[in-house]
Amino acid sequence: MANPAPASASTGGNGAAIAITEHRLANGLRVVLSEDHLTPVAAVCLWYDVGSRHEVKGRTGLAHLFEHLMFQGSASVSNNGHFELVQGAGGSLNGTTSFERTNYFETMPAHQLELALWLEADRMGSLLAALDETSMENQRDVVKNERRQRYDNVPYGTAFEKLTALSFPDGHPYHHTPIGSMADLDAATLDDARAFFRTYYAPNNAVLSVVGDIDPEQTIAWVEKYFGSIPAHDGKQPPRSGELPDTIGRELREHVHEDVPSRALMAAYRLPHDGTRDADAADLALTILGSGESSRLYNRLVRRDRTAVAAGFGLLRLAGAPSLGWLDVKTSGDATIEQIDAAVDEELARFAAEGPTPEELERAQAQIEREWLDRLTTVAGRADELCRFAVLFGDPKLLNDALPKVLDITAEEVQAVAKARLHPDNRAVLVYEPTAADDADATAATDEEGAAA
Amino acid sequence: MSTDYVPTMTFHPQPEPGTPGPWAFPAPERAALGNGVTVLHCHRPGQQLVAVEVLLDAPLAAEPDGLDGVAAILARALSEGTDTLTAEEFAAELERAGATLDAHADHPCIRVSLEVPASRLQRGLSLLADALRAPALPEDEIERLVANRLDEIVHEQANPARRAAKALYAELFDAADRLSRPRSGTADTVKSIDRAAVKAFYDAHVRPATATVVVVGDLTGTDLPALLESTLGTWTGSAAEPATHAPVTADDHGRVLIVDRPGSVQTQLLIGRIGPDRHDPVWAAQILGTYCLGGTLTSRLDRVLREEKGYTYGVRAFAQPLRSAADGSGRALLAVSGSVDTASTAPALADTWTILRTLAAEGLTDAERDEAVQFLVGVAPLKYETAGSVAGTLADQVEQDLADDYQAEVYRQLAELPTAAATEAVVAAFPPDRLVTVLVGDAAVIADDVRTLGIGEVTVVS
Repeated sequence: MANPAPASASTGGNGAAIAITEHRLANGLRVVLSEDHLTPVAAVCLWYDVGSRHEVKGRTGLAHLFEHLMFQGSASVSNNGHFELVQGAGGSLNGTTSFERTNYFETMPAHQLELALWLEADRMGSLLAALDETSMENQRDVVKNERRQRYDNVPYGTAFEKLTALSFPDGHPYHHTPIGSMADLDAATLDDARAFFRTYYAPNNAVLSVVGDIDPEQTIAWVEKYFGSIPAHDGKQPPRSGELPDTIGRELREHVHEDVPSRALMAAYRLPHDGTRDADAADLALTILGSGESSRLYNRLVRRDRTAVAAGFGLLRLAGAPSLGWLDVKTSGDATIEQIDAAVDEELARFAAEGPTPEELERAQAQIEREWLDRLTTVAGRADELCRFAVLFGDPKLLNDALPKVLDITAEEVQAVAKARLHPDNRAVLVYEPTAADDADATAATDEEGAAA
Repeated sequence: MSTDYVPTMTFHPQPEPGTPGPWAFPAPERAALGNGVTVLHCHRPGQQLVAVEVLLDAPLAAEPDGLDGVAAILARALSEGTDTLTAEEFAAELERAGATLDAHADHPCIRVSLEVPASRLQRGLSLLADALRAPALPEDEIERLVANRLDEIVHEQANPARRAAKALYAELFDAADRLSRPRSGTADTVKSIDRAAVKAFYDAHVRPATATVVVVGDLTGTDLPALLESTLGTWTGSAAEPATHAPVTADDHGRVLIVDRPGSVQTQLLIGRIGPDRHDPVWAAQILGTYCLGGTLTSRLDRVLREEKGYTYGVRAFAQPLRSAADGSGRALLAVSGSVDTASTAPALADTWTILRTLAAEGLTDAERDEAVQFLVGVAPLKYETAGSVAGTLADQVEQDLADDYQAEVYRQLAELPTAAATEAVVAAFPPDRLVTVLVGDAAVIADDVRTLGIGEVTVVS
């Protein structure tokens, strides 16, 4: 995801900085508030500082499975009551799990804000009072079906998992993705879930943001009332270090033969950590090279060579490990991987040698600015970004500097990061070759039926 | 149960809601440009990304025989250069303005969507106007778009959800009805599309007199009439009558089509028929009842299929207008969609039919109705927080020949609907013996068990 914030004068109107206040309860819960009375809605967002990077070998997928269990009731809330109460109040809600954090969010009509706070506090303080084998078994099945639906039953669906595993060495906390493996999902026990809750679900391991049509004094009073008595605890160990050398030093390449509709070349380049100026420079480089229909790779592969049906670069921002620059090229017709490889390498080399043109930099900055506007246009988007800056970088107010920082990056900085990072010796590559239809059926059936059983 | 656990926090009773703030679905204002373009606009304070939706009266049914997909190629070609800019230059100018421009062709019309920061609205509108007024439709770019579309068809075939949709439309509608065939054409028809065909379709159907533009966002300090006249107002073209839409009919006798996808670890389900669209007074009740059946994970379907049995990540019931007309001859697709692990295919279908039969026999409860109404009405301020979502709904209303206050009226009706009305609507929408079931999955594993369910004759295709 790119960055947010309408700070430049050119965005006009409400381009002013977002008003942010911070508080901390005695139990360590950090609270971030931002008032905006344009629409009678309020967003509640809670980031727990735990993600798949905190999981241990043999228990991949536990953070995400646990996220599901958080919707299965707590001391004062029935099984599924969280969904029933929020939706019955005209709100929307969900939770997501990534490498670095787990978030939960409710967007409510403003007059129902207190309900969302009460619900979040109830599960933070008393989830284990309701957690039982029935919920565990049921949500294990749901998550396995989520995995099948999103990854195993769609072409190229496991590319993210494969390329992540290739990019981060075995044993590295980011080697596996949040969905986890079928075997580990099967192995997780109720005791694992309980221990996970006791370790990570503590007020001092979370940031709560509330954004929208709120009365800050009243909101803080409610937060104090509902969350204030939840005890802090310090069971959490720091995650294993995700530090790696700046570059990989060689190309890692894996070939996959599967029943996919066309050849594909995907690659992950090792890039600077999120939160650094170099990461913003890398974001601009990837935007110029591979985001949108005026990007270099689109023009080269899709428009001119016509060897690709789609070609793009995206940035997976990571704070606790090197970020990844994701290249995704699906070939057109009979084009070969060799043709794609050669063209990509030529474009990367040219970019590293020449850097961006002033027009390209202007366009990339305008695109990133639009993405920020888009992200911050809703109270839920703002609430999530405030938590992100608070959890990953220690200060929610950094949100207001994020876009100006990107707009301040120079062409020289973009070129420098491209030269240092966007070359063959700093990437993991995944190549898809379609199998003939009959082989593929046999392979897929063997591999995946086992998991489904 | 966990018996050793005693929470130490202080518990409080569930809080009562405060007083709701006022909110109403935004009412647009109408205007017309000198060249005949109809304008709907709506000021949304604070929405710095302005959304512009253009409706071009070029329905898929107007595509020449054998050229299915020409509307889709035209839609994509609109952003491939103008009388003054090459395709690459046009893309670059859009991005320099921080704008995105998307276009797609659907049964009622071609929709073109522009999103642009308010500060660059003029530049965005001027690029949009050029794309509509003087698209270059360059031969080499059209060749490329045709080739890309042919590649895309191969990718769609591999995607279980897309394959299910394609099969259901082909089952429901007569082969002569454009609805029966993929919106963006098949390999056979797309192959025949060239610049001449695209240009002819543009000349025949794209003109200001039958176009509507919806503009939503923070328009503070914007002289919108002057801005629109100086951009979209420079587009010229002949007068024309608006297109008419043929009535929608479908064959919904209960039957099962299994699209064989050997090795699938899940079966994609799409169970559907057609029914009332937004012109039917039952629409609000149908929305309410359909939500109770399958709108969320606490609805009847997911309560069993997901939260009790764990067969699925989620199954949804929905109503989606296909082609509407002011005379009420249009219809919506009514369907249940989701995927279940292969082994659970027949059990999940059996449960679905049990749920539908129980619903018909016992009806919805008042509690279900109340929770659904509170959600559907209460969530509106969130749903319509962005300019893009407001513009999309206003454009849908125009597309479906509905009044500008239609959505506002639906919210008023929903709030007052009795439980019985919602029951009646959803039971009429999903009769267990008149549903066409499409299953994309491993036929060798699932077909025999599905045959024993008695939900209709089973046909397997590959």
